[in-house]
Amino acid sequence: MFDVLLKHMNYIAAMALFVIGLYTVLMHQNLIKKVIGINIMETSVFLFFVSIGMVQNGQAPIINLKDASVTYVNPIPSALILTGIVVAVSITAYSLSLIIQLYKQYGTLNLDEMVDEVEHD
Amino acid sequence: MISTQFPVYLVIIPLAIAVILPLLKQHRRLIQSIVSLTVGLMFFLALFNWFELHSFGAYAYNFGGYAANLGIQFYIDELTSLLVLFILFLSFIIISYSFADIPHELEPHQFGLYYSLILLLLFSMLGMVYTNDLFNMYVFMEILSITSTAIISIKHRKANFLASFRYLMLSSIGSITILFGLAFLYMVTGHLNMFEVHKVIQSVWTTYPMNLLLASGFILTGLGIKSAMFPLHVWLPDAHASAPSPSSAFLSALVVKVYIFAMYKILFRVLGTMMVKGLGIDQAILIFAALGMVFGSIFAIGQRDIKRMLAYSSVAQIGYIFLGLGLMSEQGLAASLFHIFSHGLMKTALFLSAGSIIFATGKRKLSDLDGIGYRMPVTMIVFSIAAFGMIGIPGVSGFMSKIYLGLALIEGQHPIYLALILLSSFLNAVYYLPIIIAAFLKEDPENRHAMKMDPLPKRMWIPMVVLAICLIVIGFYPQLIMDIIEASLPAYLVG
Amino acid sequence: MNDLIVKTIVRWVIPFIQLFGVYVVFYGHVSFGGGFSGGALIGASLILYAITFGLKASKKMVPHKRSQWMESLGILWYIALGLVGIYTSAYFLGNKAAGFYMGEAGQLLSAGIIPLLTIGIGVKVASTMITLFQKLVEENEDV
Repeated sequence: MFDVLLKHMNYIAAMALFVIGLYTVLMHQNLIKKVIGINIMETSVFLFFVSIGMVQNGQAPIINLKDASVTYVNPIPSALILTGIVVAVSITAYSLSLIIQLYKQYGTLNLDEMVDEVEHD
Repeated sequence: MISTQFPVYLVIIPLAIAVILPLLKQHRRLIQSIVSLTVGLMFFLALFNWFELHSFGAYAYNFGGYAANLGIQFYIDELTSLLVLFILFLSFIIISYSFADIPHELEPHQFGLYYSLILLLLFSMLGMVYTNDLFNMYVFMEILSITSTAIISIKHRKANFLASFRYLMLSSIGSITILFGLAFLYMVTGHLNMFEVHKVIQSVWTTYPMNLLLASGFILTGLGIKSAMFPLHVWLPDAHASAPSPSSAFLSALVVKVYIFAMYKILFRVLGTMMVKGLGIDQAILIFAALGMVFGSIFAIGQRDIKRMLAYSSVAQIGYIFLGLGLMSEQGLAASLFHIFSHGLMKTALFLSAGSIIFATGKRKLSDLDGIGYRMPVTMIVFSIAAFGMIGIPGVSGFMSKIYLGLALIEGQHPIYLALILLSSFLNAVYYLPIIIAAFLKEDPENRHAMKMDPLPKRMWIPMVVLAICLIVIGFYPQLIMDIIEASLPAYLVG
Repeated sequence: MNDLIVKTIVRWVIPFIQLFGVYVVFYGHVSFGGGFSGGALIGASLILYAITFGLKASKKMVPHKRSQWMESLGILWYIALGLVGIYTSAYFLGNKAAGFYMGEAGQLLSAGIIPLLTIGIGVKVASTMITLFQKLVEENEDV
C-alpha cells in the first residue's frame, strides 16, 4: 500500500495542490488570494507535467558528444512547461493590473463588496 | 498549389500588424485604413485558399519541415477553411461597424490599442482553428482568453473590470484544467499531434480507460467553461453584456464558437467516436446541452437589459450546438456546425443592432424601447429578422438549423430532445417577440408618429443590412453552407 | 529609499547579472537556458535597478518608447526569420533546408536559425518584463 502511494507520489501531490488552488480561487473573496490560487493550480499542473518526463537516472537533455550511451530525461514536457510558465506569468500580470484598476474604482479588494456595489447601481 | 503557405500568412499577418500598430502615430484615419486593409487582404487570402482546397483536397502543413510527430502541424481541410472564411467575413463586418461605434465607447488614445487587441484576437482564433497540435492549441487558447478579456476591460467602467476579472479567473481555471488533461493524454500516448494521439488511443483505450476518462473529463470541462456550456456559463452574461458592442459581437459570435470547434477536434480527431461512446461522454454532453437550452432561455426571460438578455440567449443557443454535437452522428455534427454559422450571423446582427440603439439613444433597458421602430427602422428591422431566426420562423437561417437538428434527433432516436427544442423555441419567442411588438406597435412617448431614417452613420447600418441579407439568403438556400459541411464531414468521423 | 549599501551592491551586481543573461541567451542552443531564461535574467536585472533607484531613474534608462519598440521588433524579427524559411525551403521557420549555417554540434556558431531566434526572444522577454513592471508601478502610484 505504502509502496503504491510512494510510486504515485507525483499524482497525489499534483492533485492535492490542484484542489488547494481551486479551493483558494473559489472560496476566498480577496482578489489577490484568488490570483495566488490560480498560481498554485498552475504550479500543480506544471509539476505533474514535468514529472511525466522523468526517466530513471536520466540526465539533462543536452547531447553528450563524447559518450553516446547516456540516457536523457524526456525534454518535451520541460519545454512545454517553459511555455506554460510564460503563459502563467502573463495571466498573473494581467490579473494584477486588473486588480489595481478594480481597487481604484471600488476602494476594496473584496469581491462580495464589489458585487454588492455593482448591483446597487 | 499556390496557396499552400496562405494559412501561415493568415496567422502571422495579424500578429505583425498588431505589434506594429502601437508604434505608429495614433491617427484615427491611418489606423482605420491599415486595419481594414489587413482584414480585407486576409479575407481574400482565405477565399483563395478555400477555392484551391476544392480541387487539391486537405493537406497538412509542417512548421520548419519537421516530421508530424516532432514539430507543430497545421491541418487545413475544407471545414477549417470554411470556418476561417466565416471568421474573417464576420470580423470584417464587425470591424467596419466598430469604426463608428468604438470612438463613442472608448477614449481617443485607446483607439489604436483596441484594434491591436482585435488583430491579436483574430491571430489566436485562426491559429486555434488551423492547428493540429494539442499543446499549440493550448497556447493559442491562452492568447485568446487574455485578448478576449482585454477587449472587455478596455472600457474603463466599474462593471467591465469586475466582469473581465471574473471571466479571466474562470477561463484560467479552464485552461489549467485543459493542460492537466493534456498531461494525462501525453502520458498515455506520448504524442501531441492530434492524428498520432488518435492512432495510439485507438489501440490502447480499452487498456487505460481510467486515464483517458480523466484526460477527456479534464479537457472537456475546461473547454466547457470557456465555451459556456450550461452549468459553467456563469461568467458569460456579465462579460458579454458589459463589453463594448463590437466586442460583445466578437465574443458571442466568434470566440465561443472557436472553443466549440476545438471541442469538435478533441472529440472527433483526438478521442474518436468509438471511445467517446464507449465511455459515455456523449450522454453527458446531451444532458448538459438540453439543460442549457431550456434554462438559458428561462434566464433570458427575466432580464431587463437588452445586452444581458442577448447574452443569456447565447447560453441557450450554445445548448443547441452542443445538442448536435452530443448526438455523435454525421447529421448531428452537420446540424451543429450549421448552427455555428447561423448563430454567428444572427448574434452578430442582434448585438450590432442593440449596439446601435445604445449608440443613438443611450437606452439599454428593454422597457424603454417602446416605439423605437419608428425612430430607427433599419436597425429594428435587422433586429427583428435576426430575432425571428432565433425563434425559428421559416425564411431565416435559424429555422433551417432547427430543422436539421430535429432531423438528426429523429435519426438518432432521441425524440425527447425534440420536445425540448420546441419548448426552447417557444421560450425564445416569449422574450424576443415582446421587444419587436413594443418597437413597432407601441407608441413612443417622446416623439409620436414621426417615421424617420435612423440617426446612424453609414458605417453602422450597412454592415447590419449585409448581415440581414445573409441571414435571409441562408434561410432560403441553406445548401450553400450545408453542402460544404456535409462534404467535409466524413474525414472527421473516421474511427 | 536611500540606502547606500543596497545601491552600491546593486550597482556592482547588475553588470554581472546582465552578462550572465547575455551568456544564457547566446549559448541557448548548446547548453541550458535560451531566449526566455536569458531574457528573464536581463529583465530581472532591469527590475532590480528600478527597485533600488526608483521609477524615474528606471524610465531614464529604459524609456517606455524604447521598450515598446524592442518588444515589437523582437516579434517582427522572429516573423522575418520564419519568412526566410518560406522563400528558401517552402516551410515557415525552416532551418537546415532553408540554408542557415548549421556548423558543428556543440559549437557556438551552429544550429542554424535557433540562436538567431533565441536572440529575438531574449530581447522581447527582457523588454516585456521591464515594461510590465514599470506599467504596474505607474498604475499603482496614482491610487
